[in-house]
Amino acid sequence: MKRRTRHGGLVAWGFAAPALLVYLGFLVYPALNSLWFSFTDWDGLSASYNIVGVDNYTSMVDDPVVAQAALNNLIWAVVTVVVPVVLGLALAVVLNGKVRGKPVLRLIFYTPAVLPLVSVASIWGWLYNPQYGAINAGLRAIGLDSLAQPWLGQDSTALGATMVAAIWLRVGFPMLLYLAALQGINQELYEAATVDGAGRWQQFWHITMPGLRPAHYVVIALSVIDSFKVFDLIYAMTYGGPGTATQVMGTWMYFNVFQYNQAGYGTAIAVVITVVAIAVSIPYVRSQTKEASA
Amino acid sequence: MTTVAAPPEKLKPGPRGGFGTTVGMTIAALVWISPLVLLVITGVRPLADFVSHGPLSWPGTFTLGNFADAWNIGNFATTYRNSTVLLLLKVPLGVFVSAMLAYALAKLRIRFGAAIMYTVFLGLTIPIYITIVPVFVMARSAGLTDSLIGLVGPYLAFGIPFEVLVLQSFIRQIPDEIIEAAKIDGAGPWRVFLTIVLPLSLPALVTVFILDAVATWNEFLFALILLNSDASKTIPVGLLNFQGQFSNNSTGLAAGILIAVVPILIAYTFLQRWIVGGLTAGASKG
Repeated sequence: MKRRTRHGGLVAWGFAAPALLVYLGFLVYPALNSLWFSFTDWDGLSASYNIVGVDNYTSMVDDPVVAQAALNNLIWAVVTVVVPVVLGLALAVVLNGKVRGKPVLRLIFYTPAVLPLVSVASIWGWLYNPQYGAINAGLRAIGLDSLAQPWLGQDSTALGATMVAAIWLRVGFPMLLYLAALQGINQELYEAATVDGAGRWQQFWHITMPGLRPAHYVVIALSVIDSFKVFDLIYAMTYGGPGTATQVMGTWMYFNVFQYNQAGYGTAIAVVITVVAIAVSIPYVRSQTKEASA
Repeated sequence: MTTVAAPPEKLKPGPRGGFGTTVGMTIAALVWISPLVLLVITGVRPLADFVSHGPLSWPGTFTLGNFADAWNIGNFATTYRNSTVLLLLKVPLGVFVSAMLAYALAKLRIRFGAAIMYTVFLGLTIPIYITIVPVFVMARSAGLTDSLIGLVGPYLAFGIPFEVLVLQSFIRQIPDEIIEAAKIDGAGPWRVFLTIVLPLSLPALVTVFILDAVATWNEFLFALILLNSDASKTIPVGLLNFQGQFSNNSTGLAAGILIAVVPILIAYTFLQRWIVGGLTAGASKG
């Protein structure tokens, strides 16, 4: 009898090849090609360009918009991860308890997440409309006329206003994952704790939170990864403005490439944020790989 | 947890009651859904009625005229067709090649399997914008700018990591004995794949298909840079243009947004158990 081969050989590669080739051709290669462009002064149109070494990276240091965009990315990452995760956890805990109509409630809170981001931007841009928007109308209706303002049109509120839209659409995801994880916690633990006289709050911290540890890890990792990808919402809601108040690295990269014909500089911006995103996400990717190969 | 991409378990009914909590959650849910409710109320009233009574009032009269205007001016007949064609071209192909790769990783003991998985899963973290300049250059040199075909490659590539992540974990759980038995009966790897692995993975395939369809339908950045004529635009790009034209016509804008999102909302309502199951499976294997 022939000895069993350890590897699948050519057949396995045959099955893997189509997806791998597409993945390498349209994701890996373009990403590496961008890395190359980031060392050039290419304008995105001409047939030729010069290699300028790390000039694009050093000029980022002197670009005030990059500083603004990086700060906005950081704020965006913190706020649109922390707030949805905390709210999603709270919703999941409540939905896991004594509530009627759970399926409908779950359906509603996740609904914004399935909409195209452009439509979310349109909806919130419309709600924020200074003159005809529902938000200012609501404030005026309850006598808070002084708080009615052009939410997306002024530096002080524009970024916050875009993040509210992001929170609206991102609460559902952590809620779903926590809800699934909560169903995996042994109910007898709660019963035993109740017998021992532990209050609800104590039960939450000593049973629920430890039980959710794997879920916390996944929820936070995926939320952080997602936060670095921010582009659509900002582009469609504020176009980076007013001025450069809501620029993030993704949009500032886009403007440099497609508006200012600085493809080399633009790709350098993209490289920086991508490297940060990858560095932050590597533990997650590693854990997924390990789990699968185990 | 070993939740896999099956429809999620029904929420445990739990004890009935919790009146206060139910009221509180209902209010929270109403607040959450209120932007969409306002959108509907605004979309079905005449502009003059909206302007004179304000956005938070109940309509004095009702009309469907906004939808007709928005449909024509927003070019939705074209963008709907384009988004549908793209979805039908891309999603079945993406799911199929991802399933093939997932099978190779899960059951065929492919050499460097762990390295391949690591490389592919890393794709989950790559923002689209790092690739847009080279993708644009590639599409231009292939003569595929302003063509839906030009979007298929990049869309496939960015869909593969998640699809492979979910599918390989599902396929891994198919018992080896079933596959071995088929091999003893003389089935080659293709027959095993097509007649055993794919049918047994059906729940995961459906889930991945739906999630990929949503992502494809909603994708914006590649479509923005590669499509320029009105005739080739997809719904997100078309909606952005539309938004610009209707910025001073709130009722028309509301109608246009609804035209763009209502089909997704209906599909989501019917398919939500698959969506929820897939997201949970793709993520929570801790």
